[in-house]
Amino acid sequence: MSRTCLDCARRSDRVFCDLPHDTLQEFDGIKSLRTCPRGTILFREGQSARSVFLLCTGRVRLSVCSEDGRRMTVRVTSAGEVLGLSAALAGGSYEVTAETLDSVQVAQVRRKEMLHFLRAHREVCLQVVNLLSEDLHLAYNRVRTVGLARTRHPHVSGHSLQIH
Amino acid sequence: MLFEPRPDGVTRGCQVLSPYGLDIIESCLTCKMRVDRLFCDLPTAALQSFESIKYATAYPKGAVLFVEGQAPRGIFVLCKGRVKLSICASDGKTLILKIADPGEVLGLSAAVSGKAYELTAETIDPCQVNFVKREDFLRFLKEHSEACFKVAEQLSEKYNVACHEVRSLGLSHSAAEKLAKLLIEWSGRNGESQKQEPRLKLALTHEEIAQMIGTSRETVTRLFADLKKRQILQTKGSTLVIRNKAALRTLATTG
Repeated sequence: MSRTCLDCARRSDRVFCDLPHDTLQEFDGIKSLRTCPRGTILFREGQSARSVFLLCTGRVRLSVCSEDGRRMTVRVTSAGEVLGLSAALAGGSYEVTAETLDSVQVAQVRRKEMLHFLRAHREVCLQVVNLLSEDLHLAYNRVRTVGLARTRHPHVSGHSLQIH
Repeated sequence: MLFEPRPDGVTRGCQVLSPYGLDIIESCLTCKMRVDRLFCDLPTAALQSFESIKYATAYPKGAVLFVEGQAPRGIFVLCKGRVKLSICASDGKTLILKIADPGEVLGLSAAVSGKAYELTAETIDPCQVNFVKREDFLRFLKEHSEACFKVAEQLSEKYNVACHEVRSLGLSHSAAEKLAKLLIEWSGRNGESQKQEPRLKLALTHEEIAQMIGTSRETVTRLFADLKKRQILQTKGSTLVIRNKAALRTLATTG
């Protein structure tokens, strides 16, 4: 995988990454690349949102957790998606926990720098609005599945409930 | 700008009649409430541009703004009144996702993505709504980065609510736990949560509360009766008093 977004062959297929040369160069300057093994927690639900993660390769599971530790998968994200975006924009805490399902490469950007970058580049902000709309669409689908498929007791056994 | 009446009761411009007992906000530029509202607090140039593409509309209680599955016509900025947002299963079972308050932009993600509305929006009070056609709105976002940023913030908040709903519906043990969580959440919104005995105005029927937590009306009625019997809740007309916060919190965590 390329160290710079400018040389990345896959960026034209990815909503967030397909940016003009100068904008991408600026993004290169604020990101830090990380390689994480399978099972790494990128962020936890409830934690203050300090960074945004652009998933370059691999898959990440987003899940929510109950007070007694039962976990439910909201969805599995794939390369090209931006994680932690809504929490960073809202200025609150992460709504979900993000755990890598493969060995992944992520580009991490600190919240303040991301907000500054978005304000400076209208086209990126538009991409982000598109991404958030897609995230929300999927989240509403999940609400429909979870809320209307089973309206009484969840009948959970063990500590992990996954609804795909 | 001239007053332009349209046959469907929609007006575009600066002067609007006051149907359904609403005191209509005529112009976004002079609206006193906009500073407190996430989307509306825009720079003057953006606001002027918005003013030229919006249609100020008044709706009575019970009007449907858009229906789940319908192709997105545009966005609806809720100026006054409240709107019920719900999703529906093929067997007619309904789940209320949220009661939207003034300042919210409805139909946003569908209008941006071009996919069908994911929810149904129905007014539960007489409402003033500013409608903007989809193509006008997308052009507006491209031209005004500040508005684009605010839309991103609104979408983020909506995502947060959706995740909260997934957690509540998917991981709660019982209807009692979900109802207790809902009451705690409501008491937190109006600043009552710090009080010894928080009060909240019940604006929804038992049927609607049931649709919020994915259970039956009968179960909600039974749960309220049980909570009153255990002196956890007390009702005074449509006002609900939480008499035992600790017990309600325990119920919210243990079911």
